[in-house]
Amino acid sequence: MFMNQNNIILETHGLRKEFGGLVAVDDVSVQIERGSTHSIIGPNGAGKTTFFNLLTGKHKPTRGSVIYKGEDITNLPVHRRAHNGIGRSFQITNIFPNLTVLENVRLAVQALEGVGFRFWRQTASYPDYTRRALDILERLGLAAVATKAATVLPHGGKRKLELAILLAAQPELLLLDEPTAGMASEQVPELMKIIEEIGAQGDKTIVMVEHNMNVVMGISDRITVMSSGQVLTEGTPAQIAADKMVQSVYLGELYDLPEA
Amino acid sequence: MMASKLTRTLRDNWLLILIFIGLLVFPHAVGWLTGSSPMGVPRGDRMIMRGESVRWQAVLIELFILSILAMSYNLMFGFTGVVSFGHALFFGVGGYVLGLALEYTQMETGTALVMGILGGVAICGILGLLIGLVSLRLRGVYFAIFTLAIAEMFFIYFGRLSLTRAEDGFSITDLPQWIDPAQNRLNYYYVALILFVLTFLFIRRLMNSPTGAVFKAVRENEDRAQSIGYNTLNYKLLAITLAGMMAAVAGMLQIILNKKVGPEILGITYTVDPLVMTIIGGIGTFTGPIIGTTGLHLLETVLREATITLGPIVIRVTDIWGVLLGGIFILVVMVFPQGVVGTWARWTARSAKSEPPA
Ligand SMILES: Nc1ncnc2c1ncn2[C@@H]1O[C@H](COP(=O)(O)OP(=O)(O)OP(=O)(O)O)[C@@H](O)[C@H]1O
Ligand SMILES: [Mg+2]
Repeated sequence: MFMNQNNIILETHGLRKEFGGLVAVDDVSVQIERGSTHSIIGPNGAGKTTFFNLLTGKHKPTRGSVIYKGEDITNLPVHRRAHNGIGRSFQITNIFPNLTVLENVRLAVQALEGVGFRFWRQTASYPDYTRRALDILERLGLAAVATKAATVLPHGGKRKLELAILLAAQPELLLLDEPTAGMASEQVPELMKIIEEIGAQGDKTIVMVEHNMNVVMGISDRITVMSSGQVLTEGTPAQIAADKMVQSVYLGELYDLPEA
Repeated sequence: MMASKLTRTLRDNWLLILIFIGLLVFPHAVGWLTGSSPMGVPRGDRMIMRGESVRWQAVLIELFILSILAMSYNLMFGFTGVVSFGHALFFGVGGYVLGLALEYTQMETGTALVMGILGGVAICGILGLLIGLVSLRLRGVYFAIFTLAIAEMFFIYFGRLSLTRAEDGFSITDLPQWIDPAQNRLNYYYVALILFVLTFLFIRRLMNSPTGAVFKAVRENEDRAQSIGYNTLNYKLLAITLAGMMAAVAGMLQIILNKKVGPEILGITYTVDPLVMTIIGGIGTFTGPIIGTTGLHLLETVLREATITLGPIVIRVTDIWGVLLGGIFILVVMVFPQGVVGTWARWTARSAKSEPPA
């Protein structure tokens, strides 16, 4: 299939990660189209999170490369990739537990503005950052708990905060690692609606790992299926749903694939 | 506008301001209560440092010094989450540099004092930066062990260096008179008080700035701080550099107070004391290190002369101070798991049914 190179925001070439003898990511080459919502699915241990870690720079690949907006970023450190517009949320909630909810989000706003070394000005003299942080909290329904320590939030609140921190940094490319992990099912639609809105903006690209198939099928432009570190197949939601091989990978798994 | 800002500052800080005024008048108050002069006793054309007021001034000067040391340690340890076991290094090197400038150079006394202070602060800043650059990539306990090793190396080196008279150390004799604690202790008291207050205000200002917010983010979750775009190594380097420079100031105050420089200022005591005092007082709080230091220092001062009599056995408290300190430490940590200030803040927050402290 042909894709216009200018429309590719991120691509990997033969990306591989070994942990000792274990091949967690096995020569993965994918292309992510700008402005799309691209899901990655696959059973536990398929290497999805490790793949994200290679994209964000948390892990260095054993070999292969990561190209972002035409530039080879394989050796850039995590914080530089963040500055270039790659944002990430974590499967296992990864927040600043003893800071307030507001501070959690304001830190991301402040990172975007690059004022981290302004040690003589007071945070109070940046009311704009606080307002922007509060706007995002408002959007996620967390404004009422803004002054609470993040650690006292219930699990669902922490998942929302996880997303709020990511949004505050205004990334162009959002890597969402199971955004609804562990959330009560009645809370899922609310969160997915927000993610869908972001995807619909058109200027944001979303790569999402998600286990909830109903969510994935509804929201994705494309889906990549991973298994044992490899890309099994890739296609539109309809193609994936119809794929017999995908169904066989999931035999005995938790997924409830909708009829094609 | 200006007036409302001033009244707000006064209202938010009334307790601290009261304490500051208390410390300003302290030497005179003690003098008045005990009928001693805050200037000491005149003999010929000199003043002899005798009497209750000057004695208590020395106690408080030491308290200010140890508090500065503990506050600087807290900046790294409590606010940024960088655990070092080598803080004595900065305290000692600061002391040695100033001592060497005063006693081993041909500079005029006042010049030597200024150059020694600037040089010592700069050297300790650079030392902090270098140690950080070499070792901050090590995580947690490995970094702590590395700092311990460096500090011990300096301790052993200066303990053998014949130039600085090895273990005996050397005396400070060449000091501007106005600051000499053996002649003008009251002046020195105010110098130490001002440096103590400046350290407190500086750290508070820093921690309420964007930089301070990142320090806390590094402590809370370094991984996440990186993934939102902070080069966390640089912030840790900044914290250790600033902490090193402040500890150097404390070491300089100490050698002037003692009028002596020896390897003991590089000793493990000046690493353990700020660590213990910060934990007892409350890590990552503004007043915790000061409260911890005050509690322990005053206790030690009061008990220094005391003895415990168990039948025929008479134990001097000084001799078992280390054991006592350990016991107090365990007790306080059990009662106040977040330190005195941290636990207090949690209790009051809970009883007020409001938010936990920021
Ligand atoms: N840091 C690591 N060190 C060693 N092995 C690792 C590490 N991270 C992941 N692995 C291993 O790599 C494989 C892929 O793990 P990964 O977390 O990427 O899977 P995943 O697809 O995200 O699974 P899940 O759906 O459970 O989140 C697993 O076998 C895992 O144990
Ligand atoms: Mg995973």
